[in-house]
Amino acid sequence: MSKVNIKKGNVFLIDLTKCTGCRGCMVACKQWNQLQAEETDFFSGEGYQNPRSTSEHTFTLIKFREYEKNGKIEFSFYKEMCMHCDDPACVSVCPVNAFVKTPEGPVIYESDLCIGCRFCMIGCPFNMAKYEWSKKLPLVKKCDGCYSRIKEGLEPACVTACATAMDYGPHDEILKMAQQRLKQFPDRYLDKIYGKDEAGGTGVFYLTSEPFEELGFDTVTKRALPSYTWPALSLVPATFLTVGAGLSALTWITNRRERIEKEKNEKLDKQNSTESKEEQI
Amino acid sequence: MSAARSISNEFNSYHWFVKLMMMLVVVGAVSAIIRFVFGLGATTNLSDRYPWGLWVSFDIVTAVPLAAGAFTLGAIVHCFNIKKLEPLVRPAIVTGFLGYSLVCVGLLVDLGQPHKGWHVLIHWNLQSPMFEVAMCVLAYTTVLFIEFLAPVAEKFGWKLSIRVLRWFELPLVILAASISTLHQSSLWTFFVIAVDKLHNLWYNPLLPLLFFMSAICAGICIIILEAISCHKWMGQPNEDELLATLIKILPWTIGAYIIVRILSMIFLGGRPVFDTPVMTWLFAVEMGVGFILPFIMFSRMSIQNNVRFMGSAAALLIFGVIMNRFNVSMFGMMDPNEIYFPSMIESLVTLGIIAAHILLFVVIARHFPIFEHHTEPEEHPLPAYSRS
Repeated sequence: MSKVNIKKGNVFLIDLTKCTGCRGCMVACKQWNQLQAEETDFFSGEGYQNPRSTSEHTFTLIKFREYEKNGKIEFSFYKEMCMHCDDPACVSVCPVNAFVKTPEGPVIYESDLCIGCRFCMIGCPFNMAKYEWSKKLPLVKKCDGCYSRIKEGLEPACVTACATAMDYGPHDEILKMAQQRLKQFPDRYLDKIYGKDEAGGTGVFYLTSEPFEELGFDTVTKRALPSYTWPALSLVPATFLTVGAGLSALTWITNRRERIEKEKNEKLDKQNSTESKEEQI
Repeated sequence: MSAARSISNEFNSYHWFVKLMMMLVVVGAVSAIIRFVFGLGATTNLSDRYPWGLWVSFDIVTAVPLAAGAFTLGAIVHCFNIKKLEPLVRPAIVTGFLGYSLVCVGLLVDLGQPHKGWHVLIHWNLQSPMFEVAMCVLAYTTVLFIEFLAPVAEKFGWKLSIRVLRWFELPLVILAASISTLHQSSLWTFFVIAVDKLHNLWYNPLLPLLFFMSAICAGICIIILEAISCHKWMGQPNEDELLATLIKILPWTIGAYIIVRILSMIFLGGRPVFDTPVMTWLFAVEMGVGFILPFIMFSRMSIQNNVRFMGSAAALLIFGVIMNRFNVSMFGMMDPNEIYFPSMIESLVTLGIIAAHILLFVVIARHFPIFEHHTEPEEHPLPAYSRS
């Protein structure tokens, strides 16, 4: 069993041209994370994978994709899992810091902190945060990159189980490996590494032979998601002070005229009253 | 025995509509209990595809702008010094206080781990719009509570409290406006993160500004509707003259909103914009019926000082803002293959929250001096400025 360099940010490499769809990764994931089995159904539409989608019980899923190429029906597999982004949306949106991007690579979730607002699910561009809809006090569930294994120097369960398509290791090494494959077999691969730039860079790189959109990959922005909300949020203290100071100044100005008039009237009243007193005397 | 009798007398003295509200509140409370007993998954139509549903879209995202009247009017009366509008302030503060308290209730019902809600206070994440909004809503609810204490103190004749509260009035008004500016806008920073999820008709980086501007319009319109209904059904004096003053502000705020909205869509929004007919329709109804039509009505009114259509124009604008919030937080993110529709429990809880708002307003209006004009400062002199 290969050891992992735990110090650097580690990434997954998933070569879909080599995936045979055996779903060993799914079984290993279920076993390592002690996830219960799901009742499955046959459905039409996107793919014939089983179960239909990732969920609180299924952190990784091999999706089955049919497409047409040169008039012939072809098929391909696509492993869905948490992308472990470099600058993750879930980490930035969580109001209580329940998500942490670890230096080792995985994005982990600390369930003790979670208040259950589900903002991470809205924020995640890959829709990989799932909720325990079956529970009365539900928490978020997602692939944690087998953080407990990584810390012990072991590869994630799915990588260990995969016979053909997955590699795991430090970011630079894996990127070099992927680029080398693209260079070495230009006719076998599409010249793109999905996940390298998506959402500002992720911890899962995909190689395919077919356009990623056709395989069911979401088109995701190349900017890190937190960079969208931060410009607005960084204005918060300044806005607070500006509005506060502006309104205070405005109040002072608008009330000043009133105050001056009042003082004038009071003075007049005083004068009048003293005059009347003198008259009385 | 006499307590029970006075309660039953109190109950019987209400209009049937208020009794209906009471019934809805009870049904809503029972639904909320069912939600807590059986869990979110069993009682709602929320799913991994739609983690946020009716409760977020209405109880939080829509209720907050609808409660914006308190800070807007406070700023207009005290900061811009348009003192003749003062009689409208207290009802607006009560509405705001009720609105925000019920937002907190809605939030607790929606949270998956409500018992851990207080974590927001200690595990700060400054990068999170949710953290910022939670803090603001908590702070502002507190401010509104203190502002609401004024009629309570008057009712029970706590002279000292009245003085202290009057001393704090101005700082509180300014604090309220500052905090509201923050969260009315940041609430919508939520959806700036939904980059590839929210439809281009609504997604754009200026969302926070737009939501703040529309919240001001909605807040003023709620005050108008409230004054009209209090006159019609609660025997309060006709405030049309005051409202006519208030209405002069509206064409400017709505007009500014429409201009920024359209410009930001043209220059800052993504493409394509008009690719799905359903979304185009939703957008057309929101903009046309909900913003442009009331804009025309309000601008005509201020010219001729004709307040005939005031109520319907205000209602249209509120419709527009509600529509906008739902478009952003729900419809604009809808997947045509898997439509979300709120479950019975979700709908009943939300109905109960709306009914609770109306009911509590009626009860408070009956027992506390919220419509009487303020007692003049001379009646409860303050050492600080009355003797100078």
